[in-house]
Amino acid sequence: MRSLVAPHVDIGSDPRRRANSWAVPDPAFSRALGAAGLIGMTWPKAFGGHERSPLERYVVLEELLAAGAPVGAHWIADRQTGSLLLRYGQEEEKRRWVPGMAAGEIYSCIGLSEPNAGSDLASVRSTARRDGDGWVIEGQKLWTTNAHHAHVIIALVRSEPGSERNAGLSQFVIPMDAPGVTVRPIIDLTGGHDFNEVFFESVKLPASALVGVEGDGWRQVTAELSLERSGPERYLSSTALLLQLIDHARMHPSETLTALVGRLAAETWTLRLMSASVASKIARGEDPALEATMVKDLGNSFEQAMPELIQAAVEIDPAGPEPLGLVLGHLLQLSPSFSLRGGTREILKGIIARGLGLR
Amino acid sequence: MSDQQRMLEEMAGGLFADLGAAATLDSDWGTIKEVALDGLLLGEAQGGFGGSWEDALIVFRLAGYHALALPVAEAAIAAALAGRAAGRGTVAAVAEGSLDQSRFDGVLAGVPWGRGADFVVAPCSKGGAIVLETAEATVVEGANIAGEPRDRLIVTDASMSRIDGDPFALMALARVAQMAGALDAALALAVGYVNERQQFGRSLAKFQAVQQALASFACEAAATNCAAMGAAQAMARGSAPFEIAAAKLRANRATGIGTAIAHQVHGAIGFTEDYTLHPLTRRLWGWRSEFGGDRYWSTVLGGPIVAAGSARFWPDLTALTR
Repeated sequence: MRSLVAPHVDIGSDPRRRANSWAVPDPAFSRALGAAGLIGMTWPKAFGGHERSPLERYVVLEELLAAGAPVGAHWIADRQTGSLLLRYGQEEEKRRWVPGMAAGEIYSCIGLSEPNAGSDLASVRSTARRDGDGWVIEGQKLWTTNAHHAHVIIALVRSEPGSERNAGLSQFVIPMDAPGVTVRPIIDLTGGHDFNEVFFESVKLPASALVGVEGDGWRQVTAELSLERSGPERYLSSTALLLQLIDHARMHPSETLTALVGRLAAETWTLRLMSASVASKIARGEDPALEATMVKDLGNSFEQAMPELIQAAVEIDPAGPEPLGLVLGHLLQLSPSFSLRGGTREILKGIIARGLGLR
Repeated sequence: MSDQQRMLEEMAGGLFADLGAAATLDSDWGTIKEVALDGLLLGEAQGGFGGSWEDALIVFRLAGYHALALPVAEAAIAAALAGRAAGRGTVAAVAEGSLDQSRFDGVLAGVPWGRGADFVVAPCSKGGAIVLETAEATVVEGANIAGEPRDRLIVTDASMSRIDGDPFALMALARVAQMAGALDAALALAVGYVNERQQFGRSLAKFQAVQQALASFACEAAATNCAAMGAAQAMARGSAPFEIAAAKLRANRATGIGTAIAHQVHGAIGFTEDYTLHPLTRRLWGWRSEFGGDRYWSTVLGGPIVAAGSARFWPDLTALTR
């Protein structure tokens, strides 16, 4: 894994690319990874997968992230869309999308949030209306990461007119090049383009586009979110900064920096144990939803705190040009998003509180 | 967990729940000897239980959970290092004095339940450890902030032998296990209390601010238990220099967050002598300093990482687990 990844995280490249690397798209890298059999590792061979164990896949994921490999293009397809389609999708759609995902050539995005449905996902208002054998989709999704690279979106929409909250919702698989689908960029505070608005205007879909059972979308999405919350990306976003700190401390020895490296290493080690233990439970067929939520909450807090701790310990310009400064400044500005994506901190803590028997 | 470990957990859990913070060495040490928990880590050939560090984690964690006022961890570690089943041993944090081949003159400091100990294992400044016969020592009794005995032993011309092992690190691991238990116990108390206590016409548990605070506490307790498990498993495989340092740092960090939340949600009642929170939180605060605080372990851990350079960080970290 390490030798396969190395050429793509060349130290000559911008050190900022190694930070938060699961948001950095590089289709050439994704194709190379697909050709090496490292996408869709647990999927059936009949769909381009490799029938490896979830733990083998876990090791590959953490190696990619620790190295800062640019995995953003295919990440969502590999992590959740492919698995969701294989589990709930209709045969025709599985055949159409999944093999390309495994090859690192088909990318996806997740259509959950809307202008009035952020953390309160049950408020989605986009609709699917029956049209002969098929469906017509109307509405809008917001904060859609990767929509501008994606070939396909799985959207949660209201398929039962007049239904409320988490009833009457269904998931649909929608090609991004379908007539009526429009993507508009949203530029983030760093100047980066990661998320988008996605509009659906009378988008016609065949019957096969319904994913899973009509009206069962909420349950499917909940299961999907636990995949999204359990991965090693939830604590490794700032690893590139820790690596820079280690080299800085080597050049400028001080007890303060050594101690800070020690504290951050202790936290990384603990989170890795916790994250791997969640992966083991998933591999055994258990559903460690509560533990996964804890790992995400602790992991996000850790990767979010690291830039601030380092800024306090090192006199360096976060605008650069030194690599430590560059990565620090970049992550400092990205860090608010860490406790928003995949469920806000407040939502996660609510889930944990329920698990503790409060409420 | 194996069946044998489940039995151990049940036995130690029941016993420690009965003894708890009110136990005394004079009246209750006999009970510990009867069930041979002081021989937990001592080999069977030497008359011990032959337990692993994973077994020890179960027992030491429960000692912390029930705020047990007896030196079970100290005795078990001293017995294992010294290879002795007879008498009660304990572990000093520091030994200062002069030693030759077989005699020691000096002071042992930070000795848990040093009073009446038959022997003391202490870290040696030149590496390894020493075992001292202390039945004749002059004892200056002291206590940590939780009131647990922490004595100074003044030893003159005491019989001494050199042994291998790192009593300081092993005691740090024992403290991590106790802290993991104490954090879980304080969390359980806090959850129980906020579910019961009514204010503004509803239970405190209904308030989002309270829920969010306890969720943070639960994450800290889980992290400490996971770190304790990781370090104990590494010890069971042979040695754990990285893991013990990391686990003690993690437990120390969780202590600050966890104890603050536990007291905050309890309000004034948790601050009283009669309520059972302080035997947990005061121990946690004391243990945070014992056998290495943050400054000590963070430099011990950070030093080799910085020296090795960034390219070694991830490969070395992943090589820790098989």
